[in-house]
Order: sequence, then structure tokens, then C-alpha cells
Amino acid sequence: MRMIKTLSALAATLALAACGGGEQPAQDTLTVPPTDSTAAVRAKRTQNIFHNIPSPMETAGLLKKAGAEYDKDILNDVRNVDNYTAASKQALNLGVYGADLSYASVFNNTQESMLYTSCAQKLAKKLDVSDAFNAQVVDRLEKNRNNRDSLLSIISDTYWQVDGYLKENQRDNISALMIAGGWVEGLYIAAQVTKAHDTPELRQRIAEQKLPLVDLLALVRTYSPDDPAVSSVLGDLQTMDSLYTDVVIPKGNSTITQDNGVAVIGGTAPLAALTDAQLAAITSAVTTIRAKYIN
Amino acid sequence: MKHLSSLIAVLFLAALPSISSAQCRSFAKNKCMPAMAPYKFNETFNAAQLAPGEEATVDLTFYSGQSYRLLVCAHPILGQVNWKLLDASGNSLFESKADDPKGSFDFKVATTQKLTVQIDVPAGDKGGNEMMTVGCVNILVGYME
Repeated sequence: MRMIKTLSALAATLALAACGGGEQPAQDTLTVPPTDSTAAVRAKRTQNIFHNIPSPMETAGLLKKAGAEYDKDILNDVRNVDNYTAASKQALNLGVYGADLSYASVFNNTQESMLYTSCAQKLAKKLDVSDAFNAQVVDRLEKNRNNRDSLLSIISDTYWQVDGYLKENQRDNISALMIAGGWVEGLYIAAQVTKAHDTPELRQRIAEQKLPLVDLLALVRTYSPDDPAVSSVLGDLQTMDSLYTDVVIPKGNSTITQDNGVAVIGGTAPLAALTDAQLAAITSAVTTIRAKYIN
Repeated sequence: MKHLSSLIAVLFLAALPSISSAQCRSFAKNKCMPAMAPYKFNETFNAAQLAPGEEATVDLTFYSGQSYRLLVCAHPILGQVNWKLLDASGNSLFESKADDPKGSFDFKVATTQKLTVQIDVPAGDKGGNEMMTVGCVNILVGYME
């Protein structure tokens, strides 16, 4: 068991149901007697928690705010779910369907949300993610299918549970594949909605994916030496990274102003943008990679 | 007996990460998340199991145009913790001290960027046969839809 103190913060896509749903132990902290009777001076240690990737739910919300319209035809066909037999494909598409679920939910398409939930349920079961999607969660989703806020809340909650289960059972590589699949699908969705209705705001959101990609690469790299599937995904992400090399994310300054009682960090700076060539290259590459994952 | 207690301690410590991770999540969900409202949790779970005298950092991406709430929630066994929000150049944008704690910080960013949350747990002042206490510190982010 890894005794590492470095923790990964994961933003996986998902609406998956949880691990067992049992009661958590009442005690939240652990008190351990010292191994020596004399007081030991603990060396100050710094833990670095990194590899944080914004969730597809937030990304989908940003696309909606940027003027994207909903198009169910760009999402992964629900019928593909039965084609995924290898664990790596299942994990990648758990992320893909999670991103699709986020997109459908944010745009208030509850019927499709339930379809993608069903896909996620099937894949979770194949991956043996605890007692994936216990009847309670499915029941709650069904009861709240017409209540967008409740649906999003349940999705978020179950996503937490699955992510936790994978990490606590040393299946971080599966989690990494899920996150990668979710990020690729999120970028693919952004590229497709931009193709349909190209705006500076949508291009900005695509350009900004350069930042989470850095963390995603670091996360995937952690597991790539031990897992050929993860190595392959690493190669795909490195391809994307090369296309983002010349994408500039302008830096604001460190000023803090107030806007109706809320602090605003940074002054005016140009927003991130993409040239036509950059957009075309990113769109083409992510489409190819995504096709490899879903087919 | 001394060797046996050492062995037990080592075995206990070996089991520590998986037990604590579940407990940190439970603590975050039950004790920390209520303070997130009306912001929507961004589904990203960041937590560390820290002891007095230890530090943790996490880099987070924040998007322009979003309103965020950054919540640092430590288990009471640790007491109050120090934490700060830094920009990419290391400039301090917000600070919460243990003797003047602020559980959260609401903000927007003018441009999409990575910021760093840095936490340190004040060292205990007990000497002698001090118990080694570890507690969860959760760093949670919410945004306004």
C-alpha cells in the first residue's frame, strides 16, 4: 500500500453510484500513540495536493454561459455502452458518459440525463465499482428526474462516492482514465458547439483548457509506467498538449478590487483566444482521440 | 511489549491512508458542505490528513466570469489552521490566520488562472508524551451557476 502523503485531487466526471453507502465511522480523526516514550520532534512536512482538474459539470456550465446550445447528436451514442469490454475502455467511457451526463443535465435535458445515467450504471457495474448504483441512488435519480437542481446534486454526490471508492481501493489508474475520458469528451463537446456557433467566448473556454490539461498530464503520468492503457492515453494528451503550446493564457495582475462585496482578483487583461488554425487543429485532434475512445 | 506496541502503531499507520480518506470525505460532506450554500460544489475533493506543524498546498484553476467560494474546513481536533490564497507569482491574495480565522473567501477572477491554496497547521505546544494527532483539512470550491 502506498504510504505516500501526496494526494491527488481528482475531478472526474461522473454520476455514478457509490460504494456501498454504509455508515461512515463516527470518528473523523485518528489519534496514534507515539512509538517512543520520549517526545519525538516531527519534521515539518509539506504535502502537495495537485492534479486538480475542473469538473465537466463546471465546464458544461461555462459553455452554456458562453452561449452554447444543446445538441444531443454530438454526444456518445448510448448504444455503444455494450461494446466496451476492456476495463480501460470502460473506464474511459465512464468518463465520457459522465461528461455527456453533465452536459445534458446542465441544459436541463432530464430524459437524456437518465439515459446517460443508465450507461454510467452499466459501466460502473462492469468495472466493479463497489455495488455501483445501488437501488437507492437509482430510485432517487428517478424521483428527481424533473428537478434539475436535485438531479445535479445527486449526480455530484454519487460522483464523489465513486471517486472515493476507486481511490480507497487503490484503483487510482481507473480513476485517472475516467478523468481523462471526461476531459476529452468535455473538450470535444466544446469544439463541436463552437463549430455550430463560433463565438469569442466559446473559443476562450477551449483555449483555457490548456490549464487543466497540465494537471491532467501530471495525473496520468503518475500511473503510466505501470499501465499500458494509461500510457496510451498519456500519448494522446501529449498530442493535445503540443497543440496548446502556442495558445496564450493572458495573466492578470494581483490587484484586488471589490464588486458588490465580492473580491475580484486581477485587473483587466485580454481574454484567452484561439486563432482559426489553432481551433481547427485542436478540434481535429480531439475528434480523432475521442473517436478512438468511444469506438 | 515495547516492540509489540511499536508494531501495532506501524500497522495502524500503514492502514491510515484509506481509513482517513473515507473519514475526510464523510467529514467534508457532513460538516463542511453546508457552508458552501448558495454556491454549487464543483465536485472536486481536495483533502489532506495533517498533524500540527504540517503544511499542504493545492493548485486550483479558476475561470473568469465565475463567482467562487473557497472553503477551508479543518477538523476541530486540529483547532484553527492558517491558510492563504496565492497567485502564480506567490503573491498573497487572501489570508486567514488561526487567531483570526475566516472559513471561506468569496471571489471572482478577472482572467482564468491557477491559484494556490496553502495551509499550515500551527504546531502544538505540548511537550513530553504527546499524542500524534492527525486531522482532516478539506479544501472545497463552489461556484455560482
